[in-house]
Amino acid sequence: MKIDWKHIKIKELAAIVAEKLTEKDIDAILVGGACVSIYTKNKYLSYDLDFVSHALMKDITPALSELGFKRESSRHFIRTDCPFFIEFVSPPAAIGNEPVKMREKIKTRFGSIILLTPTDCVKDRLAAFYHWDDPQALEQALLVAKAQKINLKEIKRWSEQEGQIEKYDVFIRKIKG
Amino acid sequence: MLEGLFGNVTVEKIFFFLNTYGEAYPLGMARVFGEPVNRIQQQLKRLENSGIVVSRLVGRVRLYTFSPQYPFLKELKSLLSKASEFIPEKEKDKYYRIRTRPRRAGKPL
Repeated sequence: MKIDWKHIKIKELAAIVAEKLTEKDIDAILVGGACVSIYTKNKYLSYDLDFVSHALMKDITPALSELGFKRESSRHFIRTDCPFFIEFVSPPAAIGNEPVKMREKIKTRFGSIILLTPTDCVKDRLAAFYHWDDPQALEQALLVAKAQKINLKEIKRWSEQEGQIEKYDVFIRKIKG
Repeated sequence: MLEGLFGNVTVEKIFFFLNTYGEAYPLGMARVFGEPVNRIQQQLKRLENSGIVVSRLVGRVRLYTFSPQYPFLKELKSLLSKASEFIPEKEKDKYYRIRTRPRRAGKPL
């Protein structure tokens, strides 16, 4: 299949990378803003794909090289004709103090993507809002919460665990408002 | 003290410093510890790549803090707090009891 790297969609690129990693027996999960883009059908568009993998960079690098992505710094990969860049975030995959336990699998014509569930994606964004007061992260959490079916009870439990119930209330008021 | 665990003494110093003061910039730490700034920067970069610290620009200064999203932060801080009880008083005075309260601009020392 010929790939138009210049006009590729983030979901397509995520699938192409995920398939290549699977082919090389490398487990990885997509996290961060790219999940928001996928779950909101690009209402928020991220330009970086953050993967978490326990594999070594010496194994990941040749796999991405086969897709034309060059290692730019210790954990970043770029392809000059592609608008997105890829980062391998240091493991473990965690949201706040808790490990990521569930994974979502989305099938595309380019292959399957393993990523955070919509609920964990909301928690991931809320973590940035909770810790950094980042309004963009709150906005992204709201976009996902409105676009996908999420487990509010679980988000409330996690927020309590993080000691952030007051900010959770801000999130809830905005969902309802 | 924790050098064997963290791999080198510079990381140990950075960790104790951040655990004590909450945030720091490389040149400030380098001055306090009397170490070359590039050695501090190198270790901070490594810690940032590992998700243990994060940084942000304030004016022209890059400030580092522990990442609140690092999943083992609570345990790391607990270890550092316990270990800091074993730091000699002289060393504590020199490195970890520096004035942090504000000083009005222009006030003579």
